[in-house]
Amino acid sequence: MVGETLRNLLMIAWLLPLAGFAVEIFGGFWGSRKSRVAAWMSVGCIGIGFLCSLSALLIWGNSNSWTVLDHDSHDETHVDTDHAKPADALATDTHPSPDSHTSHPPVVRGKTVYSGTLYYLARFGSLDISLDYYIDSLTLVMFTMVTFIATCIHLFAMGYMSEELTEELVDHSAHLSNGHHVHRPGRYYRFFAFLSLFCFSMLGLVLAGNIFQVFIFWELVGICSFLLIGFYTERKSACNAANKAFIMNRVGDFGFLIGLMVLWTFFGTFRFGETVNDTGEVQAGLFQMLARDETGNVLRDAASGDVKIGAVTTGADPGGNRTIPYSLLVVAGLGVFAGCVGKSAQFPLQTWLPDAMEGPTPVSALVHSATMVAAGVYLVGRFYPMFVQEVLLTIAYVGCITLFMAATIAIVATDIKKVLAYSTISQLGYMMLGLGVFGWGAGLFHLITHAFFKSLMFLCSGSVIYGCHHEQEMPKMGGLWRKMPITAFTMLVGVIAISGLAIPGLIGLSSVFAFSGFFSKDAVVATSLAFVKDNPSHFLLFIVPLITAGITAFYMFRLWFYTFAGKPRDQHLYDHCHESPWIMTGPLLALSFFAAFCAIGGEDGPLYRLITGDQPAHIAHGIAAAAGSGEITLPGHDAIHDVHGTAGTLALIAAASGTCLAWLLYGTTLVNVAEIRRQLSGLHGFLVDKWHFDEMYDALFVKPAHVVGQGCAWIDKTVFDGIIHASAKIMIFVSKWDKLFDEAVVDGFVNLLGNSTFAFGRSLRVIQTGRLRQYVMFIVVGVVALFAILFTTFPG
Amino acid sequence: MNPEFLLSAIIFAPSVGALILALLIDSKNTEAMRLFAFATTAVTFGLTLVLWLGEFHADAPGMQLEVVEPWIPTWNVYYRLGVDGISMPLVLLTSLISMLSMGASWSITKHVKGYMVLFLLLETGMMGVFLALDFFLFYVFWEVMLLPMYFLIGVWGGPRKEYAAIKFFLYTLAGSVLMLVAMLMFYFSSSSSGAQADGFNLIRLAEAATAGTLLSPEMQITAFIMLFIGFAIKLPAFPVHTWLPDAHVEAPTPISMILAGVLLKMGGYGIIRIAFPLCPYGAQYLAYTMVAIGVISIIYGAFAALAQTDFKRLVAYSSVSHMGYVLLGLAVWKINEQTGETMNSEYWQMGLNGAMFQMIAHGISSAGMFFMVGVIYDRVHHRDLNKFGGLMGKMPLYGGLSAGLFFAGLGLPGLCGFIGEVFVVLSTWSYNPALAIVAASGVILTAGYILWAMQRVYLGAEYKGPHPEDLTPMNIREQSIAVTLLALAIFLGVYPVIMFNDMTPSISRMAKAAEAGYQQSADQLNQDEMQAAQR
Repeated sequence: MVGETLRNLLMIAWLLPLAGFAVEIFGGFWGSRKSRVAAWMSVGCIGIGFLCSLSALLIWGNSNSWTVLDHDSHDETHVDTDHAKPADALATDTHPSPDSHTSHPPVVRGKTVYSGTLYYLARFGSLDISLDYYIDSLTLVMFTMVTFIATCIHLFAMGYMSEELTEELVDHSAHLSNGHHVHRPGRYYRFFAFLSLFCFSMLGLVLAGNIFQVFIFWELVGICSFLLIGFYTERKSACNAANKAFIMNRVGDFGFLIGLMVLWTFFGTFRFGETVNDTGEVQAGLFQMLARDETGNVLRDAASGDVKIGAVTTGADPGGNRTIPYSLLVVAGLGVFAGCVGKSAQFPLQTWLPDAMEGPTPVSALVHSATMVAAGVYLVGRFYPMFVQEVLLTIAYVGCITLFMAATIAIVATDIKKVLAYSTISQLGYMMLGLGVFGWGAGLFHLITHAFFKSLMFLCSGSVIYGCHHEQEMPKMGGLWRKMPITAFTMLVGVIAISGLAIPGLIGLSSVFAFSGFFSKDAVVATSLAFVKDNPSHFLLFIVPLITAGITAFYMFRLWFYTFAGKPRDQHLYDHCHESPWIMTGPLLALSFFAAFCAIGGEDGPLYRLITGDQPAHIAHGIAAAAGSGEITLPGHDAIHDVHGTAGTLALIAAASGTCLAWLLYGTTLVNVAEIRRQLSGLHGFLVDKWHFDEMYDALFVKPAHVVGQGCAWIDKTVFDGIIHASAKIMIFVSKWDKLFDEAVVDGFVNLLGNSTFAFGRSLRVIQTGRLRQYVMFIVVGVVALFAILFTTFPG
Repeated sequence: MNPEFLLSAIIFAPSVGALILALLIDSKNTEAMRLFAFATTAVTFGLTLVLWLGEFHADAPGMQLEVVEPWIPTWNVYYRLGVDGISMPLVLLTSLISMLSMGASWSITKHVKGYMVLFLLLETGMMGVFLALDFFLFYVFWEVMLLPMYFLIGVWGGPRKEYAAIKFFLYTLAGSVLMLVAMLMFYFSSSSSGAQADGFNLIRLAEAATAGTLLSPEMQITAFIMLFIGFAIKLPAFPVHTWLPDAHVEAPTPISMILAGVLLKMGGYGIIRIAFPLCPYGAQYLAYTMVAIGVISIIYGAFAALAQTDFKRLVAYSSVSHMGYVLLGLAVWKINEQTGETMNSEYWQMGLNGAMFQMIAHGISSAGMFFMVGVIYDRVHHRDLNKFGGLMGKMPLYGGLSAGLFFAGLGLPGLCGFIGEVFVVLSTWSYNPALAIVAASGVILTAGYILWAMQRVYLGAEYKGPHPEDLTPMNIREQSIAVTLLALAIFLGVYPVIMFNDMTPSISRMAKAAEAGYQQSADQLNQDEMQAAQR
């Protein structure tokens, strides 16, 4: 019952935006360009979606009596849905035992994971592909977060996009060939239609119950991103950015597809969890098939080393003895992760995200910081049970490289949105790093907190851009806090949150007062410290994020000082700028509240508990490396807890020094920044050129692809058609000779025959006299001659 | 209606329409001719719907509604028709695309009567190919379809129409000659075994092949190669695809729609209906070659599309690329070399189903793309990709519908192109991981050429070509064609099981029969070898 209620509520939240899209996209036909109806419709759809998600979360919590928030329930719970008893029976009689602190009895929380099938796409014998749903605590938290942030951003966008409410809009960034600006009708309705379509796709991705379905919505969010980045279709830069985003994502999806192929070939299913099919048979999902032993390692066949695919289903077991080579399990994991690299803009596919800032700012806030780009992180978290150590290590290093590289570029960026874009890439790197070093909860925790404070900061930048009449260059700003106090204040909340500043409490870090970013980043850094303690050769995985924490604080405060503090650098701009209307500042205030306080309590707080309510079973105790195998050891919760204080202190010191440095350089006039820039011009240029990735990819992939394309077209034209044309010419040549032969030889012979027959006949004319007696005589002579021949030949 | 009569009615309704059109309707009244021809195709479509919804049983794997009448008894040629899950979707597709492209034929103004008559004859030929169960009858319909097509391209085509028409004709004819030889091989093989009454009966021949008594393994390989070349030309597969871009570029829009939407499918249909069941050993023997050709077609077509500057040529090369998936899906038949047993049979069936679905999906998306190119060509009379731009602003509805259809071609989930492509690719790993990876890389190139083309045509600040004043919105007729195609693309993308329900039983039956046939031939070969070794 609970499962069905949850499913229905989330499906309403998921499908309403689609219905909204179907109506809104025709807004230009049924309504006036000046109408806000489409926007209200869109807000209504996503708002109702938020209410549904929130009620689903509450119902889910009630159904297991909120045991999820109890301290000790975590390390004992198992994500598997194989609690045999029906949910309802368990849900009523489970209560956390009060003495669980001392004795650690297994806490029975009842059924918390609900999965099932919506409908089948195709079935071939025992194989089937369907649309499923998979609801656990992570799904519910994501749903609530996405719908809440989306609602705020929709409201903000109603104000931000209001200049589209016109019959004729002049786009100052798009030029005609004669140098004039483009004049076009406003497209307010279309923007909201695309936003609705995006919300549908994003929620579908979160609700998906199998990895194939994730892939479907993965591509759909990609196309929504394409449509939204290219919203200003008249601008060439926007179109290029949209194409780049989609194609680079497809590169990642190519890897994703390889992962899917491996999984499909060896496991024969895409489902995450157990489901009951329409004949009442229980089918094991991927998570059940890949069994792990008590050390957390996957079960392997002793002889071949292949990984066992065990089906813990109750029904018949068609693949009981199946195995998958360990290397292919790694390939599958890396493949799926490749998709995440593309979507979450990780190294080496990170270059599309800064360009994606061509889209309107609400899009950057919703799609390119809070939700879609975080989908890659979400998928790593969701698919965690299938990742083995090698894959996790790759994830950690990719995250580590990304977070450092993006942070360095953010230092030199001057476009306010670009700074935030690189900051997003860097923070996504933190999440990946956290997941890679076995901080499942830490990575996803950072995903949620980041969604709040980064969407807040993007909206603040949107408010600045709106107030400054589409000026995005920070060097032209300065001192804006006097003109737009709410924006400046909320932005400061976001900056403090992302920098991870905190006021240490009296009794150590446990009672620290801080905004959300501190807690989640602290969790990531602590996990990586615990990881490095166990695996000292991977020390960079701790050093780099620690240093980058300082860089983060530096570039974020640089942004704030540059924009809001000091003296106005462009008096004209300053004079004309203004604070945004309430429909835009309202969402800012709401988001800043959550950016500040959503993570209250840190890893003992409700948010973290909720996220990790259904964490994979093998997380809690870590994975011990087999003795002498040279493999990595992954830390359990206890190991992380031991180093938490150290890590938190170090991270705080790094953040504080970054902040001070930013204040010195940009908050005061003590240091001449331009002089430093000139001194380090080589490094500065390298960073401004984004580590030259764009040029490299252009030379390595884009140009060669076009050359090969030209080559194929050339082969078609010259080689294949050449052969055809040559054979046609030979044919014509042969037929010419054939004609000659016909005329000279065949016709000659026939003519000869004809001529000689004719001549013969002509000669016979002599004897054709027409006299009867002569003819009779010929006949008589002939008959006599015949008889004579007859009798001489056959005598007797 | 008598169900046996229904199939004949579907085949010959267009011919009857053509006859009436030719004799009774005044040549000067073009509008009446168009409406009448359209009504004929609509009636045919209605008949196929009756067949699908009323008479066809999706869960029955075998032939349904079989019709057998003696035609040329001395040669054992019969008028033999029937429909099963493999032909049913294609019959529906044919009648639908014929109706829609007839709707697109309003742009034809030259010799309207001749065009309409030939068009309707062409539809008869196409229907006949998909419904015939007698090899000779199949061959006759195959040729019947060829001639109207030749004239439709050669008379109503573009500047190089004669060249394109002759190229199309000769290519296809070369293929059908090989098919003729193979057909005679089957005929004389079955008459030497005393079953000459069934010498052209595709069902009986397939049964004999399953039992391993039709052709020896070596002969199967020869016959399969000949059939395969014939069908691969039609498909078209690399390297015999070069007729396609020329034919498409020169053909008028509705004929391009037919060509891409239906004619190419005959290649795939021939392989799955004739080549596989009749030469299972030959098919399996050449499976790797076919998979490789399929993969090369996918990549090669996509690269070539990337380099085109003619809008229609680009769409034509995208067809080469997309039909590569069909060949790939059909051929992922893996066997255990020692025992001759088929491995991962369900994955092969998934590939076969994916290939069939890809044919339907491509029929819809590529017909849609060609139609969209035609719409803009009718207005500004050029197809140079570098001289478009900004159409999204000038013709928003046209731009939106085109975007939907091009996304279907791109293989976007939720639209029809995705299902076929991804099912085929997913089934390929179990056959050969390396080729599977190469095939999967096609997704990047496809995105590249389609998005780049869309950017040059629909996006941007302004239209850069001639006749900007002619960029008028689509009329109702054009809108309804485009909307129908897009709606179908969405419907099949979201609910593909409606097609799979029809196809799966028949395809699984075909696959099982082919597996058994291969096993027989392989055993036979093993025995021969053992005997040779004993001697």
